Amino acid sequence: MSVDPTIPSLRLSELTAAIDKTLKNTFEGRSWWVVADVTSHTHKTDKNYHHLDLVENDPVTRVMLARVHATAWGAGSRSIEQFQRVTGQRFTNNIRVLMNVSVQFHAVYGLSLQINQVDPNFTLGAMEQQRRATLDRLVAENPGFISRVGDGFRTFNHELTMRMVIQRIAIVSSASSAGWQDFCHTLQNNPHGYRFLCDDYFTLVQGEANAQQVVDRLVDIVESAVPYDAVVIIRGGGAQTDFLIFDSHQIGKAIARFPIPVITGIGHQKNETIADVMAHTATKTPTQAAERIIAHNRSFEERVNGFQKSIIIRSQQQLSAKLQKMSSLSSNVTRQTQSILFDRKRHLLTMATTLAAKPAILVANRQKDIKQTIANIRSFAALLLKSKQGYLNHQLAMVNALSPQNTLNRGFAIIKAAGRITSNPDDLNPGTEAEIILRNETIHTVVRSKSPYYGRDFNL
Amino acid sequence: MEETLTYEAAYAELAAIAREIESETVSIDVLAQKVKRAHELIAFCQARLRSTEAEVTKIIVQMEKTEK
Repeated sequence: MSVDPTIPSLRLSELTAAIDKTLKNTFEGRSWWVVADVTSHTHKTDKNYHHLDLVENDPVTRVMLARVHATAWGAGSRSIEQFQRVTGQRFTNNIRVLMNVSVQFHAVYGLSLQINQVDPNFTLGAMEQQRRATLDRLVAENPGFISRVGDGFRTFNHELTMRMVIQRIAIVSSASSAGWQDFCHTLQNNPHGYRFLCDDYFTLVQGEANAQQVVDRLVDIVESAVPYDAVVIIRGGGAQTDFLIFDSHQIGKAIARFPIPVITGIGHQKNETIADVMAHTATKTPTQAAERIIAHNRSFEERVNGFQKSIIIRSQQQLSAKLQKMSSLSSNVTRQTQSILFDRKRHLLTMATTLAAKPAILVANRQKDIKQTIANIRSFAALLLKSKQGYLNHQLAMVNALSPQNTLNRGFAIIKAAGRITSNPDDLNPGTEAEIILRNETIHTVVRSKSPYYGRDFNL
Repeated sequence: MEETLTYEAAYAELAAIAREIESETVSIDVLAQKVKRAHELIAFCQARLRSTEAEVTKIIVQMEKTEK
């Protein structure tokens, strides 16, 4: 094909050079702060290049009003990293950002914007506004399930009573994420040896678009009809970005109305997400969620152990009190019994002793009596003999004393009349011959007279 | 030990026994019985906290799932 020499023409490169020159005149060395939505974003990790389109849609009709390709590298890429760190928002499609851009033109790649800086505060503000709007909507659309209490919120889930022990757990997490591993490791290696039944409900837990998946998993949990004690929603361990899913209206609503207590461990270092606010218990990280569950069970066991201790102590006290009473009673009984027995024994012994001694004494007494009697008999016999002897002697003396000779010797005289001894005065009358025997001589006489005698010569 | 015993039921019964013993309203006649029961309840709670029953149940549940 030949070039028509009549029509003046330029080579394309000449034209692009002209465009480049014109653009440079206006835009070179200058930059602008632009608000735009991100789309068609790709990130080349090795070179740390971002390629994306910036678009503006009509807020009402959603018709695209502008679209420009943009790139970021070097300082721009570093700014994007910082943006992600500060906001917790991944730099990706469908986010609205305020950024500082320069206009670039390349003869081959055309017009593009070079991103110099991304402003995190703009996004944070927008996110916070979004968050507030979502919370307002949750309260408005779920009366009876979500309400404001002062600065905080009260939800149906929050009001649920956690069972005394958490043992059956449904885990909503992304498959084999570091957060899931942290949670399971902490739970299974608890120092108390507690065992748990964990069922995994894996889903993507990043990217706002996946919110419905999380909600679906929650529905699965209810439909499983397993009597779970708690549902744990965890993520984390990875980059501190992209928590927006947990600020979604859908997930917030599902958690707030969920019939099983929900424990979150999302790994968000900043504000609480809406999921945290709606949940029964919010913890900072998956590890903390596990620790909270272990502590919950531990406190149950401590209460049980407390009962055990008090029961042991109390029943031992009661038993020992009763035992003491018993033993004092029993020792009383023993003592009384022993004392009675002792008394009886002593009594018996006394009796026995008496019984044993008496016959001997009796015999001894009798023997003594007999001895005495024998002795008496002996001495009496002697005495009797002596007395008889004395008596005989006396008789003899008497006989001797009374012998006529002795009488004669004592001065008495024997009168004989008519040859017979007489004591009758009538035998002697005057003139009667009489013989008077006086001692050893006989006197022959005749009675001359007689007269009565009243003398007192023998009145001794 | 009853199959139907839950932590809540065990705890409530245990608390009641502890209260009775605490207030000394338990007669010595049934004290041994009560303490034995308390011991069972405590053992139940501790065993369940550490039981491998959970693992067994889990396996059964998974087997049932794969059968369907």
